[in-house]
Amino acid sequence: MSGDASDGELVRRVAAGDTEAFSGLVARHRARALRYAVAMLGDRADAEEALQDAFVRAYRGIGSCREPDRFGAWFLRILVNRCRTRAAARRRGAALFVRDDLAVERAAARPDGDPEWREEIQRALARLDALQREAFLLKHVEEREYEEMARLTGARIPALKMRVKRACDRLREMLREVDHDRTG
Amino acid sequence: MNGRIAAVAAAAVLLALPPALAAQVDRLAGRVDERTLAAVTALVDSARASGVPATPLVNKALEGASKGASGERIAAAVRALAGDLAGARVALGPGASEPELVAGAAALRAGAGPAYLARLRSTYPRESLVVPLAVTADLVARGVPADTATRTVLALMHEGVQDADLVAFRQSVERDIALGAPAGGTAAALAGAVITGEPVMPGNNIPPPRPRKP
Amino acid sequence: MSAELRLPVEASAGFEARVMAAVRRAPAPLPERVWAWLGEPRALAVSPLGGLAAAAVLALLFAGGTWAALRTARAPVAAPAAAAQPAGGAGSVVTFVLVAPRARTVALAGDFDGWDRTRLPMRRGASGLWTLDVPLAPGRYQYAFVVDGRQFVADPSAPRAVGDDFGEPNSVVTVSGGAPRGAGGAL
Repeated sequence: MSGDASDGELVRRVAAGDTEAFSGLVARHRARALRYAVAMLGDRADAEEALQDAFVRAYRGIGSCREPDRFGAWFLRILVNRCRTRAAARRRGAALFVRDDLAVERAAARPDGDPEWREEIQRALARLDALQREAFLLKHVEEREYEEMARLTGARIPALKMRVKRACDRLREMLREVDHDRTG
Repeated sequence: MNGRIAAVAAAAVLLALPPALAAQVDRLAGRVDERTLAAVTALVDSARASGVPATPLVNKALEGASKGASGERIAAAVRALAGDLAGARVALGPGASEPELVAGAAALRAGAGPAYLARLRSTYPRESLVVPLAVTADLVARGVPADTATRTVLALMHEGVQDADLVAFRQSVERDIALGAPAGGTAAALAGAVITGEPVMPGNNIPPPRPRKP
Repeated sequence: MSAELRLPVEASAGFEARVMAAVRRAPAPLPERVWAWLGEPRALAVSPLGGLAAAAVLALLFAGGTWAALRTARAPVAAPAAAAQPAGGAGSVVTFVLVAPRARTVALAGDFDGWDRTRLPMRRGASGLWTLDVPLAPGRYQYAFVVDGRQFVADPSAPRAVGDDFGEPNSVVTVSGGAPRGAGGAL
C-alpha cells in the first residue's frame, strides 16, 4: 500500500513506469504544497491550478529527480517556479487577496484555529512585494535553510536575507495595526 | 591542368550550368584564381547532381578567398562541405530546405551521425529542423560529447520544447561550461531543468557529484 | 503568526483525482535509462574544455593585444542567437557586438554577405564597443569580425563552428523562423 512506501521508493517506482504510484506522492505532499501556494498566490483556485501543474511537471520529469529521498525539496523548487509563472501571468497587477471561505470554515472547526486571524495574516501577506513574500514563506513556513533557498530561487543569500527581514518588518507593522483594531 | 585550359574548362562548365547556379559561381570571379574557380565550379556542378545547393559551397569558397587561403585549401574545404551536404540531403530527404541542409551538414561534421538526422526527420516530418540541428552542432563544438548532445536534443524535443527554448538551453549549457562544469553532465542536468520548468540559473545546475564505483 | 501559516491547507474535494487524471493523460516520463545515459560520463571522461574556455576568456581579457573581446553585461545583445527570436517566420534583426577599443575598423563578414571584408562595417560606440544590426532570413550562418581589415576574430559570446577550414575559427548564428512544433513520438 502506497501509504507505507517512502518518497524514494515511490519516485523510483514512478520512474520505472508505475504511474499510479505517483498518487502516493501527491497525497503525501499536497497539503503542505498547497499551504505555500495559497499563501503565495492569495487565491485558492490559482493555487490549486499551480499545484496541479507542478505535480504534472514533476511526473513528466521524474527521471531528473536525482535524489529520490528528497522529493519534497525537489518538488518545492518546481512549485516555487510555477507560482512565479502564474503570478506573472495574472492580469491584475498588485498582489491579490481573495477570502478563502473553505479554509475559514475548516479553521473555525479546529480548536486552535482562528479564522479571522488567519484572514488578516493572508491579507497582510498579499500586500508584500512578491519576492519578499516568497522568501518569507520559504524561510518561516517551509523552514528552509538559506543555501537551499538560494538554489530554489536563483537569488543570492544576502539578497534573500534582506527580503526576509523586510518582509518580517512589514508584516509586524501591518499586523500590529490590525491587533490594535481587534483588541482596542 | 594549366591556367589557360582551366579557364576554358571553367567557361564550358559555367555555360552548361543553369543560370541561377552560374550566377552563384560568378560571385567568385575576381576573388579566386582561374584554377580554383574551375575546381569549385566542377564541384558545384557535381554536387548539384546529389541535390546539394550551390550557395553554401560558394560561401565556403568566398570565406577562403577572404581569408587569403590557397586554392588547394579552398577546393578541399568545398569538397568536404559538399560531402557533408550530400549526406544531409540523403538523411533529411528531398524536401529539406537549404538552411536545414546547412545545419544538417554542421551536425554531421560535429559527429552526430546520419541516423540522428534521419530520426529527427521521421519524427518531425513537417517541421523545420534548422534549430535542433544547429543546437546539436553548437553543443558538440563546446565540448558536449556527440551522443550526449543528440540524446539531449531528442529528449527535449520529445517534451515539446520549442526552438527559442532550445536556443536558450544551449546558451545555458555554454554558460555553465564556461563556469567550469563538465560538459556532458551539465547538458543532462539542464535538460532536466527545462522539462520540469525550474528556473535555469548560471552555475546553478552543476549536477551533484556521483558516488564513485568501487 | 508563522505557526498559523504552518498549518497545512486542505485541498478541495477531488483535487487528487484531478491531478491523477492529468498525470495519466501526460506523455510518459522519459525512461530512467535515458536519464542514466544522459548523466553517465562517457569514455572521454571530464572534458577539459570547460576549464580551457574559462581560462581562454581570462587570457583574452589580460592579453593586451590589438583587441580584447569581453562578454558584455547585456547578454541578450551580445549573443546574436538570443536576439534572433522568430517573428512570424520572416527572420529577425540580429545585433552583433564586439569590444575592441584599440581597433581602427571592425567589419562583419560571413555567409550572409559573401565574406566580404568591407561590405558591413560596424559602428563604433563608447569605450570601444562596436555594433551592427543585420536583418537575416531564417537559417544558420557562419561569420567572424574583421579587425583593421585583415585580422579575423571569432565572436566570444557566440557558439563556434565545428572545426575550422582555414585556420581561423568562425562563429555561428542561427535564426529560427519555423512554426511551433508538436511534442515528438517514440524515443
